[in-house]
Parts: sequence; C-alpha cells; structure tokens
Amino acid sequence: MKLSNYPYLVQKEILDNMEISNLFLMSFVSKNMKKLVKSSQVTRFKSIDRIVFDMQNTVHPTIYIQFGSSVHFIILSSLISEDLETDYFQLNVSGKIIAFKCVPLYYVPCRTRFPMVAFNQCDKQSIFESIHNYLLDFFGDSIEYGWIITDCQFFVPQVQHFSLALNFLNTGTDEENMEKLENIVSSSPIMKNIKTSYWRPTGTIKPESKLYRAESISIHQNNPTIPVNLGRFQGNQAFFRCHTCEISDLNEFLNRWKSGEAFQNLEHLDITMNHTDVPLNGVLNAIGVKYIDATKTPPTHTLPKVYFESGHKPNTDPIISHTYVVRKTDNRVASISIQGKALNFGVWNKTEEEFLAMVK
Amino acid sequence: MSSTEQGTSSAAPAEPTTAPESAAAPEVPESFYYVHGKDKVVHKVSAGALQHSALIHGMISNLGYTEEQAKANPFPFENIDGDILQMVVDWCNQHKGKPTPPEDTNLPKQKEKLFDLVLAVNYLEIKELLTYCCKQVAMMVKGKSPEEIREIWMIPTDAEDEAAEKEAKKRAGKEAAGETAAAAGDAK
Repeated sequence: MKLSNYPYLVQKEILDNMEISNLFLMSFVSKNMKKLVKSSQVTRFKSIDRIVFDMQNTVHPTIYIQFGSSVHFIILSSLISEDLETDYFQLNVSGKIIAFKCVPLYYVPCRTRFPMVAFNQCDKQSIFESIHNYLLDFFGDSIEYGWIITDCQFFVPQVQHFSLALNFLNTGTDEENMEKLENIVSSSPIMKNIKTSYWRPTGTIKPESKLYRAESISIHQNNPTIPVNLGRFQGNQAFFRCHTCEISDLNEFLNRWKSGEAFQNLEHLDITMNHTDVPLNGVLNAIGVKYIDATKTPPTHTLPKVYFESGHKPNTDPIISHTYVVRKTDNRVASISIQGKALNFGVWNKTEEEFLAMVK
Repeated sequence: MSSTEQGTSSAAPAEPTTAPESAAAPEVPESFYYVHGKDKVVHKVSAGALQHSALIHGMISNLGYTEEQAKANPFPFENIDGDILQMVVDWCNQHKGKPTPPEDTNLPKQKEKLFDLVLAVNYLEIKELLTYCCKQVAMMVKGKSPEEIREIWMIPTDAEDEAAEKEAKKRAGKEAAGETAAAAGDAK
C-alpha cells in the first residue's frame, strides 16, 4: 500500500482520522510527509487551544493538547536510570537525538499507544526544550504553549513562545516557602498562573513581588483567616480557598475596587471558605451594593479561565446575582454573588446602563 | 440483495403486505442499472443503492433508461477489479435507504484489498464508505514508530524523495529541450 498513490483528498481524509500523537510520529517519516501533515491539518491544528508541558510529575511529565476542556496526550515520558531497552527508537527532534517507544495507556480506550520519551535527569530540560521547539514548528505559533512546573524541580525553559504556570507545593516551613516562592517568582518571567497550597503566602509577600503580576492566582491555605491582601494584584482572576476570613478584609477589598484605587484588571474573584459561620451577607450591607428587581432575571457572568488544569472546568463559575456594585472611576459593574460559603465577584466590561439593559 | 447476471435473484424490494391507506400516490417500481468491472461480470443494482455513489447517481439521474436499455448498457468501470466492485455493490445494497452506522467492521483486513477499495470508492465518490475505509487505513499505523509507518505505507525516505525529484527535473529538462529542437525543426 503506497500512500503517495492516493489522491490528496484521500491522503487528507486518512490523516484527518489519525490521532495527533500519531501525526507527531508521522512527521518524522520524511520531510515531505511532515509537509503533507502540516498542510492538510491546518484547520485542525488551528482549533487547538493550548499545548501543555505538564512537568508536575517529575518522573513522568506529559505533553498534551487541550481542545476546550478535553485533553489529548501527545507524548508521555519516563525518567530512566538504566540503559535503554532495545525497543526504543531514536528520533532527531530539533537537532537532539531522543529515544522514544510506543506504550499503551491502560486507562485510555482501546489501549491506544502513545509515544513515550525516555530521559535522564541530567538532560531532562534540554529534551523537553527540543520537543517544544519541534512542536512550535509543527503546530505553529498561533497556539499557546504552557509549561506547568512545580517548585520541586523548578526551571525556566529556554525557549520562545511559552507561558509559565507555577504549582507551589507545601514542602517546607512557612518562612522557607516564602523565601523560595520569592526567589522563583523574581527570577522568572511574569507567570500565567501561580497556585499555592496550604500555607500563607499573601499575608507577608512583598508588595513589589512579581506574584501580583501573575495573570491568575489560586491560593489554598489552611491558616485561620484569608488575608485579602490583594492590594497589589494586577492580574485578571483570583481563586482563594481558606478556613475563614475577616469581613473587614473583604470590605476593604470591595471598597478599593469600587473606588478604582486598585484591581483595575480584575475580572473574576472566587473566595470559598471551609468554615460555615462567616456572615458573608454582612459584606453586602457594609459596602452598599445595588439591587436588581427581584422579579427580573439578571445576566449571567462567566469567563474562560486564564488557566485551568486538565479535568477542571475551562470557565469560571457562572454568577447570576441580583446584587452588584459600580466602580466610580469608569462606571463599570461587577456582579456579586454570595451563596453558602462562597463569594463570587465578576466584573463586566459594561457600564451600569449597559448592564441594566441586559436585565430581563 | 445484489445479483449478477450469472447469478440469482431478488433485487426487487419486498412487496407490501397490506394495501396503502391512500391510493393517491401509486408506487413507482424500482429501477435497476448494471455495472461491471475489469472482470466484465455484470452486477444488477437498484437505483436506490446506487444513490450512495455520487458519480453513478449523477450519470443515471438524467438517463431515463428503460429496463432493457439499462441492461444493454452496463456502466463499465474498467479500472476497478471485479472483486472490489462486488464489495462496493454489496455495501451499497446493505446500506440502501438506511442511515450509515458510525463504524463499519466488514471492511477487508488485507492491506492491498483495502488499498484498491479506497481507490475504487474514491473514484465512485461514495463518501461514507470512503470515510470508513480511511479510518481503517489510519488504524494501520496507530501506535507505530516512524520506521514502521514508512514500511506499512511505503513512504520514501528523504534521500529517495530527493533522487526522484532530481530525476523528474532531469526528465522535464530533456523534454523541454526536445520540444525546443522540434520547434526549431518546424521553423526550418
């Protein structure tokens, strides 16, 4: 069976029916084949939202594609400490010879086989950088290439056209963590997302920290109160989960937004408390919210998340609320919803008049 | 449902067991056409089954053949092997007037047969069957290394592609030179 004997449209139909991980391998067969794959799959490749280099698992990093909320693996990998087995094949990936083999993923239907890269710890970074460069050429630069890295083996990839997300794990004392976080953040480009878990970063972080310039932050902490010390936050989306909070902190946050003094870029804030006894409704009274007629239906506020991990929702939780506030400086509206233990705050790109026109 | 001229029966649709409630639209008898491949074996196929093929459907839609005329003028598909045409006819009959399922597991497993079927189906413009066939062809290289893919689909190496390109250029150059010489001869 000679593929080249088929007319172009048949070749395209065949390639359209191949998994992207197979197209990746196909591109190594010959230069002409790579050209054929690239030219025939332009539309498909353009529909890719993001290619993710998920380096969180230090032994088995994965590279996958996100189409909306669905995930398609392209490359698996495995840290090896011994000599390679014989069933590996070598590929020249952007000038670097890398060992691959095809392995099944047992939780994927039909035991689909995926290319798996073998790497030694010493050349891990350069291997993944070479793959990044190859994928950038193969899929094009209209796609976002996101790297997710933890503080355990942190590095800034030396590549073009990428975004960085940090998952900061709870590995030391609060003081050690704080110092480590500061060092990482200050030595990195502006992050797409910073996620921290179970310690108190924002309470004592330096005001000039680049953490506040991340596009999105997600903070889970178990200290008693949430320090809504977002005073310097210049990003778009913030997600907090904590034990409890001080109403005065929330009031301060909302008043600063209303006055236009801070959080100019904020689009969505989500605060969830584990403790049930926080009188969140007190916030509404204190800051003087406005109300939409209870008989009418308010518009729904939801946005694509700046950053989301595989298996999570790609959009912010919808806010349908009869309460809202207006920013003094530009008359922009934000819907506020308080339901149970959660406060959701969604900023509209609308003036109050435009916002009220959407009420039905 | 399919029958060959040498063979059997039963291309006609089943007779309705009860009379229709309204006699306003009398049932039009189904028309049949005849096709043959390289082996000259003629297959009788209903117009309904042939609707799957955009090519044949386009050919017959304006013919208005009588049964006798259709029989006397089978469509020749000399570029399609007889057994492949038989597969196509069988598939069209099986899926006559039915929505096509998302998968078709009855496609040939042998590489060369499938290859010929793809070419035939592409020529006859049977879209759904082409999609099934292409899926099956794509499955052949699922989880294979680049060298295995090259072997299965007989893809030339870069060196072979370059040599072929060189050869094609050389040939084109010779042909162009020949044409120039011929034109000069004509001018004299």
